[in-house]
Amino acid sequence: MSRFRRRRQGEVNITSEDVDYKDLDFLRQFIGETGKIVPARISGASAKFQRKLTTEINRARFLALLPYTDQHK
Amino acid sequence: MRHYEVVFLVHPDQSDQVPGMIERYQSLIERTGGKVHRAEDWGRRQLAFIVSKIHKAHYVMMNIEVGAETLAELESSFRFNDAVIRYLMIRRKNAEIGQSKIYEEELREQEKDRERDRRREEELASRRRDNNNDDEGARNDAPAEENAE
Repeated sequence: MSRFRRRRQGEVNITSEDVDYKDLDFLRQFIGETGKIVPARISGASAKFQRKLTTEINRARFLALLPYTDQHK
Repeated sequence: MRHYEVVFLVHPDQSDQVPGMIERYQSLIERTGGKVHRAEDWGRRQLAFIVSKIHKAHYVMMNIEVGAETLAELESSFRFNDAVIRYLMIRRKNAEIGQSKIYEEELREQEKDRERDRRREEELASRRRDNNNDDEGARNDAPAEENAE
Protein backbone atom coordinates (compact mmCIF):
# COMPACT_ATOMS: atom_id res chain seq x y z
CA MET A 1 0.00 0.00 0.00
CA SER A 2 2.78 2.38 0.82
CA ARG A 3 4.26 2.21 -2.65
CA PHE A 4 3.03 5.71 -3.35
CA ARG A 5 4.72 8.66 -1.76
CA ARG A 6 2.67 11.54 -0.56
CA ARG A 7 4.22 14.20 -2.71
CA ARG A 8 2.47 17.47 -3.36
CA GLN A 9 4.16 18.60 -6.48
CA GLY A 10 4.35 22.18 -7.60
CA GLU A 11 3.91 23.37 -4.05
CA VAL A 12 7.35 24.90 -3.94
CA ASN A 13 8.47 26.92 -6.89
CA ILE A 14 10.46 29.54 -5.10
CA THR A 15 14.19 30.01 -5.53
CA SER A 16 16.29 29.44 -2.45
CA GLU A 17 17.41 33.10 -2.47
CA ASP A 18 13.98 34.12 -1.28
CA VAL A 19 14.08 32.16 1.96
CA ASP A 20 14.75 34.37 4.95
CA TYR A 21 14.47 33.73 8.67
CA LYS A 22 12.56 37.00 9.06
CA ASP A 23 9.70 35.90 6.80
CA LEU A 24 7.85 33.98 9.49
CA ASP A 25 4.58 33.48 7.66
CA PHE A 26 6.44 31.89 4.78
CA LEU A 27 8.47 29.60 7.04
CA ARG A 28 5.37 28.56 8.95
CA GLN A 29 4.12 26.81 5.82
CA PHE A 30 6.97 24.34 6.25
CA ILE A 31 6.57 23.47 9.90
CA GLY A 32 3.95 21.00 11.01
CA GLU A 33 1.51 21.28 13.86
CA THR A 34 4.11 20.04 16.30
CA GLY A 35 6.57 22.72 15.19
CA LYS A 36 8.81 20.27 13.38
CA ILE A 37 10.13 20.94 9.90
CA VAL A 38 8.03 19.12 7.31
CA PRO A 39 10.17 16.57 5.44
CA ALA A 40 10.95 17.35 1.80
CA ARG A 41 9.35 13.98 1.00
CA ILE A 42 6.02 15.45 2.09
CA SER A 43 6.36 19.06 1.06
CA GLY A 44 7.93 18.28 -2.31
CA ALA A 45 10.76 20.74 -1.71
CA SER A 46 13.93 20.22 -3.72
CA ALA A 47 17.02 19.19 -1.78
CA LYS A 48 18.62 22.60 -2.30
CA PHE A 49 15.50 24.40 -1.16
CA GLN A 50 15.08 22.13 1.84
CA ARG A 51 18.65 22.82 2.99
CA LYS A 52 18.12 26.56 2.78
CA LEU A 53 14.79 26.22 4.54
CA THR A 54 16.36 24.26 7.39
CA THR A 55 19.04 26.85 8.09
CA GLU A 56 16.55 29.71 8.00
CA ILE A 57 14.04 27.91 10.24
CA ASN A 58 16.82 27.12 12.69
CA ARG A 59 17.87 30.76 12.74
CA ALA A 60 14.31 31.81 13.46
CA ARG A 61 14.15 29.17 16.20
CA PHE A 62 17.34 30.37 17.82
CA LEU A 63 15.89 33.87 18.06
CA ALA A 64 12.67 32.41 19.52
CA LEU A 65 10.70 33.62 16.53
CA LEU A 66 9.53 30.06 15.81
CA PRO A 67 9.07 27.16 18.21
CA TYR A 68 11.25 24.04 18.24
CA THR A 69 8.28 21.97 19.35
CA ASP A 70 4.74 22.37 20.67
CA GLN A 71 5.94 21.03 24.04
CA HIS A 72 7.42 24.31 25.20
CA LYS A 73 5.76 25.24 28.44
CA MET B 1 35.24 44.79 5.59
CA ARG B 2 32.36 42.45 5.29
CA HIS B 3 28.63 42.60 5.46
CA TYR B 4 26.89 41.20 8.48
CA GLU B 5 23.40 41.00 9.80
CA VAL B 6 23.12 41.20 13.56
CA VAL B 7 20.01 40.55 15.63
CA PHE B 8 19.98 40.83 19.38
CA LEU B 9 17.36 40.33 22.05
CA VAL B 10 17.21 42.75 24.97
CA HIS B 11 15.61 42.00 28.31
CA PRO B 12 12.16 43.65 28.36
CA ASP B 13 12.98 45.45 31.65
CA GLN B 14 15.88 47.15 29.86
CA SER B 15 13.68 48.11 26.91
CA ASP B 16 14.13 51.83 27.44
CA GLN B 17 17.89 51.46 27.01
CA VAL B 18 17.48 50.18 23.47
CA PRO B 19 17.72 53.50 21.59
CA GLY B 20 20.87 54.33 23.55
CA MET B 21 22.35 50.92 22.77
CA ILE B 22 21.67 51.28 19.06
CA GLU B 23 23.33 54.68 19.11
CA ARG B 24 26.34 53.36 21.00
CA TYR B 25 26.87 50.47 18.58
CA GLN B 26 26.34 52.78 15.64
CA SER B 27 29.02 55.18 16.84
CA LEU B 28 31.38 52.26 17.56
CA ILE B 29 30.92 50.97 14.01
CA GLU B 30 31.32 54.37 12.40
CA ARG B 31 34.36 55.23 14.52
CA THR B 32 36.18 52.17 13.20
CA GLY B 33 35.35 53.00 9.59
CA GLY B 34 32.35 50.70 9.26
CA LYS B 35 28.88 51.44 8.02
CA VAL B 36 25.38 50.81 9.28
CA HIS B 37 23.24 50.07 6.25
CA ARG B 38 20.05 49.34 8.07
CA ALA B 39 18.94 49.40 11.68
CA GLU B 40 15.51 48.20 12.73
CA ASP B 41 13.86 48.23 16.13
CA TRP B 42 11.26 45.47 16.11
CA GLY B 43 10.01 46.41 19.54
CA ARG B 44 8.91 44.03 22.25
CA ARG B 45 7.83 40.71 20.83
CA GLN B 46 6.37 37.58 22.34
CA LEU B 47 8.95 34.78 22.31
CA ALA B 48 7.97 31.45 20.76
CA PHE B 49 9.24 29.78 23.94
CA ILE B 50 10.61 30.83 27.30
CA VAL B 51 14.24 31.92 27.24
CA SER B 52 15.88 32.28 30.66
CA LYS B 53 12.45 32.72 32.31
CA ILE B 54 11.48 35.54 29.98
CA HIS B 55 8.37 35.55 27.81
CA LYS B 56 8.99 38.73 25.87
CA ALA B 57 12.06 40.43 24.49
CA HIS B 58 12.98 43.58 22.64
CA TYR B 59 14.38 42.76 19.20
CA VAL B 60 16.87 44.88 17.30
CA MET B 61 18.31 44.12 13.88
CA MET B 62 21.24 45.83 12.19
CA ASN B 63 22.83 45.32 8.80
CA ILE B 64 26.41 46.46 9.04
CA GLU B 65 29.66 46.52 7.12
CA VAL B 66 32.57 46.16 9.51
CA GLY B 67 36.03 44.69 9.88
CA ALA B 68 36.77 41.59 11.93
CA GLU B 69 38.07 43.51 14.98
CA THR B 70 34.97 45.65 15.22
CA LEU B 71 32.75 42.61 14.92
CA ALA B 72 34.68 40.93 17.72
CA GLU B 73 34.32 44.06 19.83
CA LEU B 74 30.60 44.14 19.13
CA GLU B 75 30.29 40.49 20.06
CA SER B 76 32.12 40.91 23.35
CA SER B 77 29.95 43.89 24.19
CA PHE B 78 26.89 41.68 23.64
CA ARG B 79 28.37 38.91 25.70
CA PHE B 80 29.20 41.10 28.68
CA ASN B 81 25.98 43.06 28.57
CA ASP B 82 23.49 41.32 30.87
CA ALA B 83 20.59 43.06 29.15
CA VAL B 84 21.33 41.16 25.92
CA ILE B 85 19.67 37.77 26.17
CA ARG B 86 20.67 36.38 22.80
CA TYR B 87 22.36 37.55 19.66
CA LEU B 88 22.76 36.22 16.16
CA MET B 89 25.43 37.37 13.73
CA ILE B 90 25.39 36.13 10.16
CA ARG B 91 27.43 36.91 7.06
CA ARG B 92 25.63 38.57 4.20
CA LYS B 93 26.81 38.86 0.62
CA ASN B 94 25.84 42.50 0.27
CA ALA B 95 24.25 45.36 2.12
CA GLU B 96 20.61 44.67 2.84
CA ILE B 97 18.38 47.68 2.57
CA GLY B 98 14.65 48.22 2.69
CA GLN B 99 12.34 47.05 5.41
CA SER B 100 12.34 43.45 6.57
CA LYS B 101 9.14 41.43 6.80
CA ILE B 102 9.10 41.52 10.59
CA TYR B 103 9.67 45.26 10.70
CA GLU B 104 6.81 45.83 8.26
CA GLU B 105 4.62 43.76 10.54
CA GLU B 106 5.76 45.75 13.57
CA LEU B 107 5.06 49.04 11.82
CA ARG B 108 1.58 47.83 10.90
CA GLU B 109 1.00 46.88 14.54
CA GLN B 110 2.14 50.30 15.70
CA GLU B 111 -0.15 51.95 13.18
CA LYS B 112 -3.05 49.86 14.46
CA ASP B 113 -2.22 50.78 18.06
CA ARG B 114 -2.08 54.45 17.19
CA GLU B 115 -5.38 54.17 15.35
CA ARG B 116 -6.99 52.49 18.37
CA ASP B 117 -5.59 55.10 20.76
CA ARG B 118 -6.88 57.86 18.56
CA ARG B 119 -10.33 56.31 18.41
CA ARG B 120 -10.39 55.80 22.16
CA GLU B 121 -9.28 59.38 22.66
CA GLU B 122 -12.06 60.64 20.42
CA GLU B 123 -14.61 58.50 22.18
CA LEU B 124 -13.51 59.79 25.56
CA ALA B 125 -13.57 63.36 24.35
CA SER B 126 -17.06 63.04 22.92
CA ARG B 127 -18.28 61.34 26.09
CA ARG B 128 -16.81 64.16 28.14
CA ARG B 129 -18.55 66.70 25.94
CA ASP B 130 -21.84 64.84 26.31
CA ASN B 131 -21.50 64.80 30.10
CA ASN B 132 -20.78 68.51 30.19
CA ASN B 133 -23.79 69.21 28.09
CA ASP B 134 -25.98 67.03 30.30
CA ASP B 135 -24.92 69.09 33.29
CA GLU B 136 -25.90 72.28 31.62
CA GLY B 137 -29.48 71.10 31.20
CA ALA B 138 -32.05 70.32 28.59
CA ARG B 139 -31.85 73.57 26.67
CA ASN B 140 -28.44 72.61 25.36
CA ASP B 141 -29.62 69.33 23.88
CA ALA B 142 -29.42 70.44 20.29
CA PRO B 143 -25.79 71.66 20.35
CA ALA B 144 -24.79 68.51 22.25
CA GLU B 145 -25.93 66.42 19.35
CA GLU B 146 -23.88 68.53 17.01
CA ASN B 147 -20.79 68.03 19.14
CA ALA B 148 -21.23 64.31 19.31
CA GLU B 149 -20.82 63.97 15.59
